[in-house]
Amino acid sequence: MERLEFTKSAPLSMGVELELQLVSRRDCDLTRAASDLLAQLAKRPHPGEIKPEITESMIEVSTGVHTGYETLVAELREIRAALLAVAESLNVGVAGGGAHPFQHWSQRRIMDAARMKHLSQLYGYLAKQFTVFGQHVHIGCPDGDDALYLLHAMSRYLPHLIALSGSSPYYQGVDTAFDSSRLNAVFAFPLSGRAPFVQTWDDFNAYYDKMRRAGIVASMKDFYWDIRPKPEYGTIEIRVFDTPLTVDRAAALAAYAQALARWLFVERPHRVTEDVYLAYTYNRFQACRFGLEGEFIEPAAGTRRSIGEEILATFEPLGVHARELGAEAALSEIEAIVRGGNDARWMRERYADSQSLPDLVWRQVERFREGR
Amino acid sequence: MPELFFLPDLAAAASQLPWTALLLLAAALAGEAVQRWLRLPRLLGWIAVGGALGPHGLDLLDRVSLAALRPVLDVAVGLVLFELGERVDLSWLRRNPWLLATSLLEAGLAFGAMFVVLLAVDTAPLLAAVAAAIGISTAPAVVLTVTRELRAQGQVSERALLLTALNTAYAFVAVSVLLAWLAREYAGDWRAIVGHPVYLIFGSLALAGAFAAVTLGLLRVLGRRRDAQFLCMVALIALAVWTAGALKLPVALTLLAYGGLVRVFDRRRVYVSLDFGRVGTILLILLFAITGANTDWSLLATGAVAGGLLVAARIAGKAAGVLSLAPLARMPVRKASLLALTLTPMSGVAVVLLHETSALYPSFGPALAAIVISAIAMLELLGPLLLQFALTRAGETDDEAR
Repeated sequence: MERLEFTKSAPLSMGVELELQLVSRRDCDLTRAASDLLAQLAKRPHPGEIKPEITESMIEVSTGVHTGYETLVAELREIRAALLAVAESLNVGVAGGGAHPFQHWSQRRIMDAARMKHLSQLYGYLAKQFTVFGQHVHIGCPDGDDALYLLHAMSRYLPHLIALSGSSPYYQGVDTAFDSSRLNAVFAFPLSGRAPFVQTWDDFNAYYDKMRRAGIVASMKDFYWDIRPKPEYGTIEIRVFDTPLTVDRAAALAAYAQALARWLFVERPHRVTEDVYLAYTYNRFQACRFGLEGEFIEPAAGTRRSIGEEILATFEPLGVHARELGAEAALSEIEAIVRGGNDARWMRERYADSQSLPDLVWRQVERFREGR
Repeated sequence: MPELFFLPDLAAAASQLPWTALLLLAAALAGEAVQRWLRLPRLLGWIAVGGALGPHGLDLLDRVSLAALRPVLDVAVGLVLFELGERVDLSWLRRNPWLLATSLLEAGLAFGAMFVVLLAVDTAPLLAAVAAAIGISTAPAVVLTVTRELRAQGQVSERALLLTALNTAYAFVAVSVLLAWLAREYAGDWRAIVGHPVYLIFGSLALAGAFAAVTLGLLRVLGRRRDAQFLCMVALIALAVWTAGALKLPVALTLLAYGGLVRVFDRRRVYVSLDFGRVGTILLILLFAITGANTDWSLLATGAVAGGLLVAARIAGKAAGVLSLAPLARMPVRKASLLALTLTPMSGVAVVLLHETSALYPSFGPALAAIVISAIAMLELLGPLLLQFALTRAGETDDEAR
């Protein structure tokens, strides 16, 4: 049996990956630009990593490992500056947002790398329809058992993270009525959803081994779970966020997840049983569909309230942990989102203004550049 | 035969045969054939049909029918140049000034190289300069049509469009100025020498500016609905073409500036990016077919040696210009070589310039015309091939579009 070793990492360290849209400055549609951009970026030193993704209209930027919000947001801003310097000289627009509002999936070109080709052959139109843009947040865990604890404990708070980051209301040219339509594209894959309820790293290895022997997966990369362990980094990877419209917001969301993790590790506020997943898909749907106004059901307590109220209710227990981590500024940004609306709402308001999806994308490009 | 009155009188009907429709049909079929079996750009088929049916071929499409199609040709050129102008993002030149330098250098070196070749074959310096200036321009219609057909996107495609728009503008300005010098030798009235190019250049810019302002005013009222904007734009472009013609201003320069200025003035982004779709394609087919019909293919052989040299000089000059500044303009050498190839096409606009020149100054003799037309004929065929090759090799085309 081939065992996955869980690398030790500094507990509660964090890192962020962002998938970004590359758009034409002429018509604001997605454009073929990743190779040209990466070729130029390879020539100049820049912080973080900038890598190709499944289509030519997407790139992924990732930060190093951070212990606090301040250095994370600083690095993300530096990466943005390096990226924009090159993108502007190539006349390419860079935008956040979980999905491009009006691109047509049939027109996307798959990058020329072997794995990308394989995915597109296996998944057909799903691979192209998967032109959606997410943020992944890694949280460091001391060992595999702790990672699985955090994974299950954190799953109760996924609706919070989805509602806060929702930024894909428009997809293929229509208002989907969802705040995060992106996650619907992820659900179509056979190995999406949640990880199995195993609580020790040994049990996880046994599960992984069965799946591999059965030929269902070849590596951990084949699981498209909402949260998955990343043994080579010693982290859990939270993958439900839509890419926000600014890097500042991306950093704030990561810091909020980090504060949740610290609280969950230190105070162990919930007993983790399989019941965690009773309302999982219901709450998750509510978050995707209605965002902060979605309904959150807590089956154990029998309570139901809005996801926005749920988020505000976490501030009380999180306060001390946010202070410890130096994430107070991030927490007030999260509060501003709950009170002022998420990116999906901002996008709907801009569209109501102009009645033009290309114009909306243009504003997303400007907002990403200005960072506010 | 009064009892057979219902049978048609074919002899009378034949004189009114809808040549345009037949030309369109033949060209469309040839274009599909070229695309499907030879995997080459459709427009080669359109040019071939024009050449075969035209006065230099079977003469089914004689000079009279061609003259009757002239207004269609003008609107087609207008649409193409407007769209090209609208695609050019002048702010890109601000963000990457080396692109402007590249553009000036490739135009300058191509001009210089062609000028030297023409002097070497004993052309009078001024005439050589006019011919070389005509050669600065890359064919806008070819670059637009082929990039669209291949659904090409990326740095090579975007820069090809940008450099084409710029070198077409340079060509018109240079030709206007040189023609005035030519006038000095033949007419001698200083008012014409100074006045004519100034009128041509600033007149087109002023007219373009006026049209752009009116257009944006109208679109603001109309809103961003694509259909409404489409109708409005086709009508405005046709009007602009007519106005430029009536004012004796260069249609191409006016329309190029019109498109460019719409983009520059449009701070509120009310203009939605249009492509002129099927209507545009019909006009393009006719444009290329008429270009093919107007080309005297027999001169291809007559001026072959000098024409070939001219073509080589032009390609070398453009390549040197694009390659020497490539690292500064942020483009790898491999892609820059491909970009240089995309600038090869030459056709419609060059023919227009040539006609305008020889109409104004008949001394633009047949010997020179033979060389230039021979070069144009070669590039009409070679240009689209190199363009397709370059875009494909750059990996910027869409497999499914081919």
